[in-house]
Amino acid sequence: MIPWRRPAGPRGRLRRRFGAAVRLVAALTLVGGLYAAFAPGSPAGAEDAPLSAEAQEGKRLFETSCITCHGRNAQGVPDRGPSLIGVGSAAVEFQVGTGRMPLARQEAQGERKPPLLSIEEARKIGAYIQELGGGPQLPEGEDLHSDGDVARGGELFRINCSSCHAFSAGGGALSSGKSAPGMEEATDRDIYAAMLTGPQNMPVFGDNQLTPQEKKDIIAYVQNLKSDQDPGGWGMGRLGPVPEGLAIFLVGVVALIFTTLWIAGKS
Amino acid sequence: MSNQPAISDRGFDVDDPSLRRFDLVREGARRDGVEIVHYAPRFPVPGTKAEKRVVRSISLLLALSGLAAIGYVVAFVALPFEYEPGRNLAKWYTPILGLSLGGALFLLGIGMIAWAKKLLPEEIAVQERHNGGSPRDEQELTGATTLNLLDETGIRRRPMLKAALLLPALGVGAAAVVSLGGLVRDPHRSEVFFYTGWSPKNNGGKPVRLIRDDGTPVRPQDVSVGGQMTVFPDIPHGTTNEWADSPTLLIHLRQEDADELRGRLKQVPRNAAFNNGTGGLWGNFVAYSKICTHAGCPASLYEQQTNRLLCPCHQSQFLITDNAQPIFGPASRPLPMLPLGVQDGYLIATDDFGIAIGPAFWERP
Repeated sequence: MIPWRRPAGPRGRLRRRFGAAVRLVAALTLVGGLYAAFAPGSPAGAEDAPLSAEAQEGKRLFETSCITCHGRNAQGVPDRGPSLIGVGSAAVEFQVGTGRMPLARQEAQGERKPPLLSIEEARKIGAYIQELGGGPQLPEGEDLHSDGDVARGGELFRINCSSCHAFSAGGGALSSGKSAPGMEEATDRDIYAAMLTGPQNMPVFGDNQLTPQEKKDIIAYVQNLKSDQDPGGWGMGRLGPVPEGLAIFLVGVVALIFTTLWIAGKS
Repeated sequence: MSNQPAISDRGFDVDDPSLRRFDLVREGARRDGVEIVHYAPRFPVPGTKAEKRVVRSISLLLALSGLAAIGYVVAFVALPFEYEPGRNLAKWYTPILGLSLGGALFLLGIGMIAWAKKLLPEEIAVQERHNGGSPRDEQELTGATTLNLLDETGIRRRPMLKAALLLPALGVGAAAVVSLGGLVRDPHRSEVFFYTGWSPKNNGGKPVRLIRDDGTPVRPQDVSVGGQMTVFPDIPHGTTNEWADSPTLLIHLRQEDADELRGRLKQVPRNAAFNNGTGGLWGNFVAYSKICTHAGCPASLYEQQTNRLLCPCHQSQFLITDNAQPIFGPASRPLPMLPLGVQDGYLIATDDFGIAIGPAFWERP
């Protein structure tokens, strides 16, 4: 008991406690009301519209696998991961489906690796990101090359893609540890999504620049290139006549040296 | 004049009936200065097992060589050789030709060498060589022979031939000079270096539109943010090698990157002065010459996150948000900027680059 306070009777104590409770409620209401009035409103459609069943499963996967770097609402975390608002389901399917995401570590760029999540799970996360912020989507189906024109695709590949991915689609080096990957393992949907979304340092080739038909032409060319057999069976990376000439020179010179040794040697 | 060489004066008589053929061979070599000191057959007793084995293996090599040669002829005539996509026998046409013909020649050579090494008699022959330079009379004789050769052509007393020889010498020399000289552009007509297909004077004074490789014009909405497109001038043959100095990379920057570039335009006054001082950009679009300022390769490896343009030949890197200034590699000058505008909804070049594109040359200011 604090000595300089006048001891209160049971009635006064009750009234004081009741008054304190009323003041507390009033203050909380005032603060909450002020916050509601001045705080930025939640983005329309992000939380209000109910998510589809697929997107809800995707949200659960997102919260276990992606949230550390991309944030609670896919808004991004500084120095860890970018915002995913507006990247679309195509980008998610590409990044997760090829194993690039989740990243193993922060480095120059994410590399293709055995995927941590199945392609169905990747598509569920894609559905969630799509409903959250919109963005480019892939067409239906796994086969995006059969109705493409290989010859036109070759022209488009050489003018748009070959500077980084090389004429043989084998990939090449970029600056500071980055590189344009080879397309040996890329599926039709991977290539389509890469063109549509411009993953990492790849430029975006939107549908106004390369129409869906032209994208299919390019995919047809790439898949044709991959399924084609190298004359003689070994393309040596399809790097062209210089390494091939070097190889036959080295092999041939060694063979000639041993042949001359055998010819000139004492029998 | 006697044909009898001095060396035969030792009393060797070729008509002596007691001489065997090998004695004649040995004498012939001796007269050429070669002494056969050891000569013995590989297999002194004919018909041994070892000899038969050697004969069999050489025969096998020769037979295989013949088969391979026949295989080459059959493959050349019968196998499909026209390109077909996918896995098929045509992909093996060239390797089969190479293996069969190469194998035939290789086996023939191996067979002959094996014959020489395993079956021909063992022989050691010695040839005398003099030390140091040739004797003086030898030198005199050789010199006289050489001069005699010149006299035989008669060029000294037939001046017409001498003059006639001069003609092909001049002609062949001129052919070499002309064919190589055609590759050199006159450096004193240097104005050709300073304008490209984008100059309005190629289009009757009107600004030149940007087109794709297939000739279609480019609308701003055709290039996504973070996208790029190779564009050519909309003039006759604009997409061909006739205007090989004109290919340009059109880039659609993000808002913040475009703002950064606008803030730095003044560092290259030419870029800031385009479009009456408003700068060479149109909206967030910027266009740079695709020809590297180091050695003229296409510097078109565009990194959309780091905003760099790379040249694949010598790894020069240009920073797009800083007037395409070189930041790495051997290039020392920025890529020239093409001033952009829009007319009737299509992108145009409001002017030429205003500077010589590509690598350095003699008369570059």
